[in-house]
Amino acid sequence: MKKTDMIIVGCGLSGLFAACVAASRGKKVQILSYGAGTLAIAGGIVDLLGYGDDGKFCANPLVGIDKIAAQHPYQKVGGSAVVKRAITEFLEIAKSCGYPYLGTPEENVWVPTAIGNFKPSCLVPKSMDAKALLASKKILVVGFDTMKDFYAHMVVKNFTKRLGESRTISEHIVALNFEYGKDLRDINAMDVARWLETPEGQASFISQVKDKVDADTAIVLPPVLGLEPNYEVYDKLHQALGCSIVEVSSIPPAVTGLRLDKMLRAYAKKHSVQIIEKARVVGAEIVDGRCEAVITEGFDRKRKFYADQFIIATGGVYGGGLKTFIGQMKEPILNIDIEVPRVQTQWSHKKLFDNQKQIFAQYGVSVDETLAPLSAGKKVASNVKVIGRSLSGYDFCYEKSGNGVALTTAYKAVAAFCEED
Amino acid sequence: MRHVIDPDKCTACTICLTVCPVTAATRKFRGPKMTGPALTRLRKLVSDDDPMLDYCSNCKNCDMACPSGVPISTLNMLAKNEYYKKHPRKSKADDMLAHSEKMGKLITSLPLGATFANLGAAIGKSIGMLGSMGIAEKQELPKYASESFLSKFKKIKQTHGKRKVVFFSGCFINYNQPNVGVDLVKVYQHNGIEVATDERFVCCGSPMVSGGYIDDARKNAEKNVKLLKQWVDKGYDIITACTSCGLMLKQEYQELFDFAQMSDYAAHMYDSIEYLERLYEMGELKTDFKALNKKYIYHAPCHLKVQSIGRPTMEILPLVPSVNIEEADAGCCGISGSYGYKADKYEVAMKVGSKLFNRIKKSGAEKVVCECGTCRMQIKHGTGVEAIHPLTVLRKAYGL
Repeated sequence: MKKTDMIIVGCGLSGLFAACVAASRGKKVQILSYGAGTLAIAGGIVDLLGYGDDGKFCANPLVGIDKIAAQHPYQKVGGSAVVKRAITEFLEIAKSCGYPYLGTPEENVWVPTAIGNFKPSCLVPKSMDAKALLASKKILVVGFDTMKDFYAHMVVKNFTKRLGESRTISEHIVALNFEYGKDLRDINAMDVARWLETPEGQASFISQVKDKVDADTAIVLPPVLGLEPNYEVYDKLHQALGCSIVEVSSIPPAVTGLRLDKMLRAYAKKHSVQIIEKARVVGAEIVDGRCEAVITEGFDRKRKFYADQFIIATGGVYGGGLKTFIGQMKEPILNIDIEVPRVQTQWSHKKLFDNQKQIFAQYGVSVDETLAPLSAGKKVASNVKVIGRSLSGYDFCYEKSGNGVALTTAYKAVAAFCEED
Repeated sequence: MRHVIDPDKCTACTICLTVCPVTAATRKFRGPKMTGPALTRLRKLVSDDDPMLDYCSNCKNCDMACPSGVPISTLNMLAKNEYYKKHPRKSKADDMLAHSEKMGKLITSLPLGATFANLGAAIGKSIGMLGSMGIAEKQELPKYASESFLSKFKKIKQTHGKRKVVFFSGCFINYNQPNVGVDLVKVYQHNGIEVATDERFVCCGSPMVSGGYIDDARKNAEKNVKLLKQWVDKGYDIITACTSCGLMLKQEYQELFDFAQMSDYAAHMYDSIEYLERLYEMGELKTDFKALNKKYIYHAPCHLKVQSIGRPTMEILPLVPSVNIEEADAGCCGISGSYGYKADKYEVAMKVGSKLFNRIKKSGAEKVVCECGTCRMQIKHGTGVEAIHPLTVLRKAYGL
């Protein structure tokens, strides 16, 4: 029987980060992953806490975190002190991978979105330095003719509305000169990113933009500065144009999210983390309050994967980590019934995006302060932790706290396991 | 049990688009999400007229990435099958490559057949005949062996073992690289496993499915399924050493077809190295290896990755003393069975494989290790570095 130190179920941000942290502390880690994880369609920026329980903007996320309600995962795991440690570790990993992030957990920044709005976030890649954008006198919104899902004129309009008259905000469209035809598919951000990875693409971009910018300009463009977790494309363009360049937060397929995904996978693999793809975990073998193995099911037979410690990082309803039925919600691996109203209309406020946290968004697995899962108030298994979106007690969308909770709970779970050793 | 294919399980998240190697290489392919689940819904209403379908290579990276369990590539294959019922084939190559078993059977049954066939392919290439048939002229066609595996197998004397397996060799090992099959028998015998074969097995159907001949694949599936069930009933486990055969027999049959007993044997199916890994975990694998002093690089075939068995080769080969092996981890090689042999797909296939080729060339490894026969051909073609099956390494390490 093969046994590893730690098995992590799930390959999203929380699962991958937990694997990185555990492996860097010498644990032998195996990830069981069903699907690639949603980083590939998410922004790759880390929101910590944009809005508190009162709905007010938090200028300093750490201060906001210490004021948040007791059932929130941040409070459960020990508040701002633990968040700070998790974020420090994330920043160190990113730096060691040659893809450093900007920001501190003490300050929210306003990051531009793909339609020219702004959202609060905390840690961003160097290519998304929103502070540089807000500090510049001139903003040039660069779009690409034929690239779908990014409309420069709309960004200009919304920027003008939000940033006022004190800046010059203009639009410029770069011609891609790709082949066109009805037998060729649409052009998305990944195609443009691949083009900008080539010397020809870079030269073309520079020549089309150069006389539109000076040192006071900030270029705003869709996330297209290369697919790899490094700043090669950014640095080249930045050097040649001599102005700030800011990517907006991603739209699927999300280039910046993919970079973060690649970065964490590379770090994990370098630290001997084994990833088993297409492994659908359907249950766990729990004996005398300890989890012995998780069980996968595929087209051939069930398999058992043994370990000393387990982390469940399977996501929420959307990621498949929680299953809903009429008047019922379940965590399928540990078979935990999640307490929800029988009457489904009580699961949500009438307005989907209301001025308060959405009820259903806060449903999830209850845990103790070490992230050990509880079922009807009792510990399910002493050597299991649940992290990330599977947890109850927060609404990441309303709070702008999703990736922050993912990183913090991943860090805490590994730290708790290491202390228990 | 039939696995219900529900295109509505697709939430249109586009994760599949980010992993599709063909989409990255050419805009002639619309991408997995659109071609697969999105257009499948439409195809339920109107007849299909989407030639982009042809560009899906059935590599299954989309299936692997999908968080909702949609068998995207299978939806594409089903649609391709329907498409070619109403549209002309692009070239004769489609038929020839999909039914490679026919050719193999013919050539290896004739005296000196392989010599003439290999010569014929060389001449055909030099006079441009292959090109006119729709075969990529720059690609190197697999050579036929002078003696099939099944014929060689009969000459191997085996001793009885406590474990019994039946080996589904598949066409490539049987007709093109029979020595991989011999390696398997030697390595298994050394570990006390008795190997059987069955001359009644037919092509698993994988090239037929990706070539748009699912109806032919179904006929083969019906034959194989009955035989496989009989072997399992006699207490045998089923072994494949070609990852595409393995995937087809245990998974794709269940996705594509719906006849009785289709998956009754699936619980007893193993990849050849996965089986050895299992023995190792039970403490039953012999580890009397000689030191090999070799530096290898391992390429995991896409059709292995999607089987949710991890990387058995990376667990077993490091047990051999002084073998230095690292995983390439550089994506699809591009060949996808018969895809990269087609004239209109050759450039796409080479572009898909370019990242892997560069990785291998830079690694300084003496040889590439890989379970899939056509991946090995493509890697040799793209890098000049010889690629071998892990069983070949193990046989050498055992000194057999």
